[in-house]
Formats: sequence, C-alpha cells, structure tokens
Amino acid sequence: MNRGYMGKILMVDLSKGEFREETIRDEVYEKYLSGLGLAAYLLHDRIPAGADPLGPENVLGFVSGLLTGTGSLFAGRWMVVGKSPLTGTWGDANCGGSFSPAIKRCGYDGIFFTGASEKPVYLYIKNNKIELKDASSLWGKDAIESEELLQEQHGRGARVAVIGPSGEKLSLISGICNDKGRIAARSGLGAVMGSKKLKAVVLDGKKRIASYDQAAVRKLSKKCNKWVQFQLPLGPSIGAGLLGTLLRVLPTAMAMDGMIYKMILRQWGTGGLNQMSPEWGDSPIKNWKGSSTDWPLKRSKSADPDKIKRTEFVKYHCYSCPLGCGGKCSMTGKYSETHKPEYESVLALGGLCMNEDTDSLFLLNEMLNRGGMDTISAGATIAFAMECYERGIVTREDMDGIDLAWGNADAMVVLVHKMINREGIGDLLADGSRLAAERIGKGAHLYAVHAGGQEPAMHDGRQDPGFAVHYSVEPTPGRHTIGSQLYYEMFQLWKKVKGLPGKWPFQIYHKNTKYKASIDKAKEAAACSKYMNVINGSGLCMFGTFLGVTRTPTFDWLNAVTGWNKTPEEYMEIGARIQTLKQAFNIRQGVEPKNNKLSGRALGLPPQAEGANKGRTVPIDKMMEDYWQQFGWDSSTGKPTVDTLVRLGIDAR
Amino acid sequence: MPFTINEACTGCGACLKVCPAGAISGEKKKLHAIDAAACIECGACGRTCPSVAVIDQYGKTAAMAKRSRWEKPEFKHEACMSCTICIDACPAHCLEMSEAKDSGNTHAYPYLKAEKACIGCGFCAAECPVDAIFMRTPAPREAKVSSDAVKEAAQ
Repeated sequence: MNRGYMGKILMVDLSKGEFREETIRDEVYEKYLSGLGLAAYLLHDRIPAGADPLGPENVLGFVSGLLTGTGSLFAGRWMVVGKSPLTGTWGDANCGGSFSPAIKRCGYDGIFFTGASEKPVYLYIKNNKIELKDASSLWGKDAIESEELLQEQHGRGARVAVIGPSGEKLSLISGICNDKGRIAARSGLGAVMGSKKLKAVVLDGKKRIASYDQAAVRKLSKKCNKWVQFQLPLGPSIGAGLLGTLLRVLPTAMAMDGMIYKMILRQWGTGGLNQMSPEWGDSPIKNWKGSSTDWPLKRSKSADPDKIKRTEFVKYHCYSCPLGCGGKCSMTGKYSETHKPEYESVLALGGLCMNEDTDSLFLLNEMLNRGGMDTISAGATIAFAMECYERGIVTREDMDGIDLAWGNADAMVVLVHKMINREGIGDLLADGSRLAAERIGKGAHLYAVHAGGQEPAMHDGRQDPGFAVHYSVEPTPGRHTIGSQLYYEMFQLWKKVKGLPGKWPFQIYHKNTKYKASIDKAKEAAACSKYMNVINGSGLCMFGTFLGVTRTPTFDWLNAVTGWNKTPEEYMEIGARIQTLKQAFNIRQGVEPKNNKLSGRALGLPPQAEGANKGRTVPIDKMMEDYWQQFGWDSSTGKPTVDTLVRLGIDAR
Repeated sequence: MPFTINEACTGCGACLKVCPAGAISGEKKKLHAIDAAACIECGACGRTCPSVAVIDQYGKTAAMAKRSRWEKPEFKHEACMSCTICIDACPAHCLEMSEAKDSGNTHAYPYLKAEKACIGCGFCAAECPVDAIFMRTPAPREAKVSSDAVKEAAQ
C-alpha cells in the first residue's frame, strides 16, 4: 500500500474476550487522516448517545499517527480517545514515548476496546498473536512497577501502556502511562481503562511502515533537523526569568518565533519557562487568585531551570524526536530517579499551590507518574482545596487532620498519596475540582477553576486570551495544547495557507490589542484548531511544529508519505472536518457547548487588582461566538449547522 | 514480495529460530513455510539457511553466510540526533540507548547492545533519516585491523 498508514484497526471486545480486525478504506484516511481524525470518525457512531463514560458501552481507543514510523521527525505521539468521564465530552489525551510506533508495528493504526472485562486483564500482541492475559497480579501496582514487570516477562522490546492505582480506582483525573512515567493524562481516560479492568496494553510487533516516497521524506527530515540542531548559547536560566519581567513591564508585545522556544526546550526542556511564565502573567498563581506579585523571582527560583537541569543525568527523546526536551533526573529519598518534571507539573504543584519546596516537586511528580494521575488536575485540585481551607469552607478535621495551608509541601505529599489511593479526604478530591466542589458544597464551586469540568493548564488566558478561548470552545474543554495567540505566531501558518492573517518577524504590537475580540483573532484561533487536528492526525508533537510550518514541514511530509497531492488549504479543511465531527460527537452526547466556558476567575471576572494581568478581562462570549462562526457552527449555541456538516461531507446526525 | 522457501528445505529449523517476526512454521525434517502476511523481509532466514532453500523478495536464491560475517551497524555520533528511530526499527531488539553521561552533552546515543542477537537486516540504517548508521561486515577476528583501515577499505 505504501501510504504511511497500516489500513487496519483492531477491535477488542473485553466482555467476550474476542478480537476483530477491520479494514479501513483509503477514502477515510483522505478525509480524516489517521490518529485523532480516524478515531473521531470511528467513535462518533460507535459510542452510543448518552453513554456512561465508565460503562461497557464507552469505547477506549489507542491510536498512532499517519506520519509515525515513516522517517518524519517529531512523529512519536500516541493518543488515547473515548468519551471523557471528567467532562462528558469527546475525550482525548496525547503522549510521547515509544508506544506510538509500537501500535503500527502490530499492523494497526489504532486499537479499540469495547465492553468490560470481569477480572483484570492486559492485551498482549506479539507478532501476529493476540492474547488477553490475566493481570490480577499487576492490579494495585504502580505504573512504573507494572511496566517493569511486564517487560521482564515479555522482553525489553515490548512497549507498554499502563494505568496506575488511580486509574484502577476510577479517578476522573487519571491517565495512561508509557516509558516509565510519560503519561496521556488529560480527559480522565485512565478511569475508562480502569472501568474496563484493562491494566495494560503490551505491544511487540515487527511490521514495517512504508511511505510513498521515502527519499522525499528523508530529504524533508534532514532539512528540518538542521533547524533543530541550530542552537545559540542561552546563558544562565535567570535570563529567561528576567526576560519575563521585561515582557511584563513593556507596554508592547512581540510576535514570537518558535526558534526561541526551541532553544529553550533544547537547553532546559519545558521547564525553561518555570520562572519566566509567572513573571509575565502566563502562569496562574495561588489557585488563579494570585499574581506575579505573589510569586516573584525569589520564590520561583525554587524551580530554577538550571537547578533542575543539574539533576538531569541523561536527555530523554521520544520516538523520532531530534530535539529531546525530556530528561531523566536523579533524586534522593524513596525514588532514585524521575522523568524531568515538566513545566505544567512544576507550576501546578508549585506556584498554583504556593509550594516553594523543590524536592517535593520531584517527589510529587514521580508519585503522580507512578499513580497514573494528571499532574495538572491534581495540582489544581489541591490548590482549590487549599483555598477552601484558607476560607474555612473545609476544616482541618475535614482534611483528615492535614494542615493544608498554602505551600505546605509535606501536606501535599500526604494528600497526593491519599488521592491516588482514594483514602479519606483523597477520595473526595480524586475526581478533580468541579466534583470536589459539588461534594463540599458551601459555595466551594466559586473557587474551582475549570472548563467543562477539566482544570485548565498553567497558561493564563488573562495574559494570552487565545488560551481562554481554546479552553472554552474546544470539543475537549480545558486543553492548552491546541491554540493561543502565541501558538499562532509560532505555527506561522500564513506562510503556507492562503487567507490567514500574517505577521512580520518579531512584529511589535501594543499589548492592549490582545484583549479585543476581532474577526482576525477568530480566524487565527480556528486555524490553530484545524492545524492541531492535522498534527494529531499525523501523530506529530506540538513542540516540533512550533518551529513553524516551513521548518517543520507537516504538509510536505504528509504528501511525501501518502503520495497525495493536497494543498495546505485542503489539509486545513481536513482539520476543520475533524473539529466539526468532534463537536457533532458532543452534540449527540447532549453536551451544551456554552456550558464549557472557563470559570470567571480565570477570565478576569472580576479583573485582578495587581500583578502582570492587572485590570484585564477576556471578552470571552464574543470570542467564543466569533470562533464558532469561523467553523460554520451556530454562533449562539456552538452547534454545527446542517449546511456545514453537508459541506464537509460529514454524515453525522 | 515476501520471502519463500523451496523444496531444497530439509526442515532443519534454523530459519524458524532466527526469524524475528515469527513468520516461519514447519515441523522438524519437513518442508518449512513463510507466512506472507507476517514476513518483514529482513532476510535472516536466507542468510542462515544451510540448504540454500530461501528465495528472497526479488525471486533470487538467498546466499548463506556465517553469522559472524553478517553485517552489523556502526553509529556515527556526529550525525546522530538521538531520536531512537533505530531502536524501534530493530526487529531483534538488539539496540539500546547509552546511559553514560558525557559532561556537557547529556544526549544518549544508540549502540549495539546484544551483538549476538543482531540479524544484520540493516533496518536501523534504512530507517535512520540522517544517515547516521552504516552496515559493515565485521573484520575477521584473527586479523584485527584498526577501524580506520576498515573505513578506508569500505570506501
């Protein structure tokens, strides 16, 4: 076939213990790509309307990308899909590591699970042999321990996706791990896996992945790699922090070029922004109530990127990544090493909770990776609980005697242990802040910051309203890995796609313009969503694509791998089709898109009195309407119109 | 086109043991067969067959060679981007990333960990997008020559 995709999926019925291969027609890939697009196409009808996300009727899928294994770079992402138990919407989570090519090496573009097993099982595929094996002895073990045991049994070449105890205990903020601590964490899909009593998926296939024009793919990859390897000395990390201060003080902002972020990633990883982000208001502080004033450089230095880098003993690259933003770090105490704590984890467990204890960041990171719990949602839920504690909504007695004062790292360690194992107060908090607020009552919901039930990430819409828009309008609400004004600048899509608003290199503009709704901004936001669907259909890493569409040649790779001759506009149309299909999934499930709007506090309602984002409010309603209009959805309800569904050739009811 | 086995097969089972994809079946001392859907065209069966009974993807009889003379990968660190594509490409799982820390450069590099498990298929070199891997026939053990000399000879 030689078009990059395998042309088949595997359906596993866990209730009956049966397997069924399905052939996917070429037209489906042309309309939806592979990966997330293929999953949206398949699951739209297969998950019944009103399905219980934790019931056997939900379908859990693991998909690879169209470009994965073809010699394209940055193509090592795998995605987990299903109806989210956290938000009740289309759910997806994205992860790097080595699992993505493993799916294709078994001969499939995706593996989907229906039904539920009675006892714990894991799926094992070796070459052409597919088995469901007993996982009773693994149940209760943490994600890393389980992966090690499975590799001991099936060889180190076997790739493992596995849930930890939090997924087993159906925590709605649990995810699915691979490569000993890299986790597809969002949307609570670990709980779906737990509800199916599926402990792990272990893959050891050897199939070859063939492209249409391998020489062209390699040529593109070599050129892309030259950009990745270009690195300037960045100096000590405090420079990044001071740059943040400068960006806060200046009345103007500058169009960013992804090469700058690439160099930061190469040097420190995502954590390169640990001090910069709080400075210029990109990172929320103290449960979104605080500001840069509460988290000055002298406090944020607890997560100084250079300090973290000193513990890094080896860089970690996901499959096919020339950049290597990850790392393995040594630590003292119960565990000897951990994946380098990511920016999101550090700020969610640090600044958001006012926690200045560096050692605790490493420990909490490793505990959550092992437990299989989302660090963003866990940190945000603890921050919420801390505010409730401060306000006297919950007492020390309610908290099992834990003194949950702001920044109490020891208390956080105890609490995280309880959340992972659903013990005592941990049981109440293990399902995220929205449900915790409902359970607590007494007006606690005012302090739970979420979009449709999912805690937004450590990027503040009051600094970049693009984040607030995507948190609110995406079919999977609360996600930071789709779009923002900053991402649009870095994607540089206008260089390839006709009709998009262009920017000059390092264009300078007044900050105030960021906070005004406009049609151009809606076009930019819609372009981010469409492009990210293409990226997620390809299995590419968002960080890689930040280099810009000319340096990381997504569209050219796709044409070289598939032999199609599609224009960038045609690929963007595919992105629009996937977006609309995901939204149609939500409508079919009875989701009211308006209800996914981000919590008022995070939108600047009321505006902050001090700090980097002082006095700012996001005109969210107008921005949401404009965005929906861009897709041809009803601008007042966010529901795709019949005309749009027909135009995109979507057969959705 | 997958590999096939012809009537010259004596059923010795050597190919069955070396095949990394589990594509070969057959009873001892009986004609073996390759499952076309499972064959990944690595050529290990052909290189190992003492009866010269394996037909390769081009319809030619595959040549048997002593395992110690099978090609092995050599890694060029200056071109390598540590992307792990080769690790994944290896059907025999014989490559790994180094763990040692080199001060100033903490990137890990691939190396041939399980030398004896290598089947000489060259998939690692074929899939490397930046030509950082070369397949070379190991020098005979008796006449150990410096690696520079090997490079020169190869050019």
